[in-house]
Amino acid sequence: MASRGQAAKWRAVLNLRTAIIIVCIALMGWFAAAFALDNKEVFLPGETSVGHYLFEASCSSCHEGFKPVSNENCNRCHQAELAEDKHGASKFRDPRWAGELAKIEALTCTTCHNEHVHMFGRGVHLQPDLCMACHEGIIQGDLQSHDGFATDGCWTAGCHNYHDHSSISTGFLIENLDQPPMLPVQQLPDRTILNQVETAPSPDLSREFLGGGA
Amino acid sequence: MLIRAIAFLCLTLCLNLLGATPATAQAVDQAKVDEATQLWQTSAHALSEINCSSCHQAAETKEFVSQPGVESCQTCHQQDVDTFLLGKHGIRLLEGATPLTPAMARLPMQAAALDNPMNCNSCHDVHSVNTVQAAVDSCLSCHNDTHSLNYQTSRHAELFAADSNLPRPSATAVSCATCHLPRHETGTGDNIFTQVNHNNTYTLLPRDRMVKDVCLNCHGAEYSYNSIFDDDLVEANFDAPPTLALETFELARAFEARRTDQGTE
Repeated sequence: MASRGQAAKWRAVLNLRTAIIIVCIALMGWFAAAFALDNKEVFLPGETSVGHYLFEASCSSCHEGFKPVSNENCNRCHQAELAEDKHGASKFRDPRWAGELAKIEALTCTTCHNEHVHMFGRGVHLQPDLCMACHEGIIQGDLQSHDGFATDGCWTAGCHNYHDHSSISTGFLIENLDQPPMLPVQQLPDRTILNQVETAPSPDLSREFLGGGA
Repeated sequence: MLIRAIAFLCLTLCLNLLGATPATAQAVDQAKVDEATQLWQTSAHALSEINCSSCHQAAETKEFVSQPGVESCQTCHQQDVDTFLLGKHGIRLLEGATPLTPAMARLPMQAAALDNPMNCNSCHDVHSVNTVQAAVDSCLSCHNDTHSLNYQTSRHAELFAADSNLPRPSATAVSCATCHLPRHETGTGDNIFTQVNHNNTYTLLPRDRMVKDVCLNCHGAEYSYNSIFDDDLVEANFDAPPTLALETFELARAFEARRTDQGTE
């Protein structure tokens, strides 16, 4: 009676162990298949942001192995956006501001722009009051006009742009106050193309098109 | 029983991982060749001596290419392709994935266009080189959201309709491309020329980038900001003057008043 009970227990343990091993092998096989079949969405740790989801299966677009994502990687695509960066390297080379980097690592893109996590807008995953890390004084008496403003409104209310503030700075706004809805001169860039010849040459391929090809 | 269940699970998971769509071959008859030739004959391409073989023949092997890709356009239109590849339209190609199709989009798209792959030819008729079509009609062949659909009844569309002579929209026509693939001048002195930023995502966010690059060409700053930050007005494709009054302008006005008061005292 006792030995039969023990045997059953052993069988149960064996069965469980086999099951675990099989599940592990299946999972490994699945991951390997995901890699081999180039279907890497299964490795995504969370929802990808609206800006990046179209190539979320291309891990190597941003990741070099398991190293943290570097600024260089972001700059592959985002150079134009950072052409005029108010919070760029030159800002923090100034000894007046260099110490601020201890409060927030502002020179690393991923400090504010992580990926596969919840975003608060503009691809920013930090709480919208992130400006307060350095600029809390602005709403606490340093700038009378901003006394008592909400801590999370600097950019969410559409007033400030952390990187390029060339067309939204106080100076710019003052310069452009009270303009009419339509400017006196409304001018979009024109695009002209100078033709090199008066008449078209004769087409240099014809029969080739009928045969198909690559 | 357990093993069979696991095997079934593995099989379904692996099948889930498969799912590429095969490229479709396109049949070409003489009528199509004649049509393309006719369109080409009056185009900027023909009048710049860009002939059939310029695109339809591999430079080195002289092998015939029936459907030239982005790389072919890139040999002449470097800046256009470079910027295209950085926007949502082109990023998948830059990253070595299959071309974007409207089916992958999170925005509403036309059902008939869901499987159309995105390349230069999706928007541009490369034979006619008619960018009037690329500026509105091409966009609306895929985009089916409220903002896009409301364009046709907007004041901007009236301007476009009034002056959209072939082969390219003039400086007074306001199309989808005017805001989303904006022109900008570059170069210095006698060598100033206009380029088109084909990064279709660039002016979208933050919204003040649209104001800076696009709106301020024609509109005052307050009018622009009060329009672009009004979600309903964006949705309606700017069919009415803005009703929003951003507090930021009142602050700037008060700041300026204080400054000039101090100056006159």
